[in-house]
Amino acid sequence: MRWVGRPPRWWRGLLIAHLTKTNFLYNLYVMELASNVARQGQLDAVFAALADPTRRAILSRLADGEASVAEIATPFSISQPAISRHLKVLENAGLIERDIDEQRRPARLTAETMASAVDWLAEFRAFWGARFDRLDDVLMELKKTESKE
Amino acid sequence: MSELPEYVLDRTFDASRDLVWRAWTDPDILHQWYGPGVETIIHQYDLKPGGAWLNEMKMRGMSDYSRMDFQEVAEAEKLVWHHASTDADWNVVANPMMPDWPRVLLTTVTFSDAGGKTDVRLSQVPIDASEKEIAVFAEMMSNMDGGWGKGYAIIDELLSQLQS
Repeated sequence: MRWVGRPPRWWRGLLIAHLTKTNFLYNLYVMELASNVARQGQLDAVFAALADPTRRAILSRLADGEASVAEIATPFSISQPAISRHLKVLENAGLIERDIDEQRRPARLTAETMASAVDWLAEFRAFWGARFDRLDDVLMELKKTESKE
Repeated sequence: MSELPEYVLDRTFDASRDLVWRAWTDPDILHQWYGPGVETIIHQYDLKPGGAWLNEMKMRGMSDYSRMDFQEVAEAEKLVWHHASTDADWNVVANPMMPDWPRVLLTTVTFSDAGGKTDVRLSQVPIDASEKEIAVFAEMMSNMDGGWGKGYAIIDELLSQLQS
């Protein structure tokens, strides 16, 4: 385990979601449709936040574990204030969270938001695919029925 | 038209073209596969140009409504419709999850023989969309296998760390 600090308590849910994604992606989508009205527009912010390569690199860095601004800034050729601005965008989109009461204010990923954004996209891609899979089954059933008649 | 972003899905089905066509145009069969994993209710299915297919997908007491307005119906060859999310009264509304998602997608399904099997191509392009909606759709399409793969890469990385 590379995780030393705070145990990532969202692992289990994320792992299950990942493993069974194709099965309940669509169900998830419909549930989200109804339950996420309060978060309208949040996905827009998520996708806008992810459109920037530096911010994606920051997320990759945070995938290795929480880090302070200084730690995040090290491999980049940009200033800490610039990193802070990127972190703000990521934080506003709900992709990361930061500790308030610590001096170094480490940032870490908020996997739920990431997962819901990825799922939304996967849903669009998987949606017709899942339908076509089901259509395949239905056609097989129809062929069986017809050959009996 | 060619500059518009397009979503394309190709699939070969091991069934005759007539049977595949029936699966798309007989509501009794269509509802069995159109909403995988959810209850699909086809409130109206009027297969002719100008006719509409009004679709409800139910999940735990919640519903997702959409309407498909047929533009072109060429038997066993081609179906063209305008695809939109709606409210419960079948009025076109913005996608609740993505306000800037194109409201209407021009959807074309073509059916062709493939040696006893049937090739189906589904294509969706935004229609009457604002520049912003087109941009959002284009970004989604281009990012599916490119930049957005990053999203998956990050999740995969997280998962591999969990498992290691």
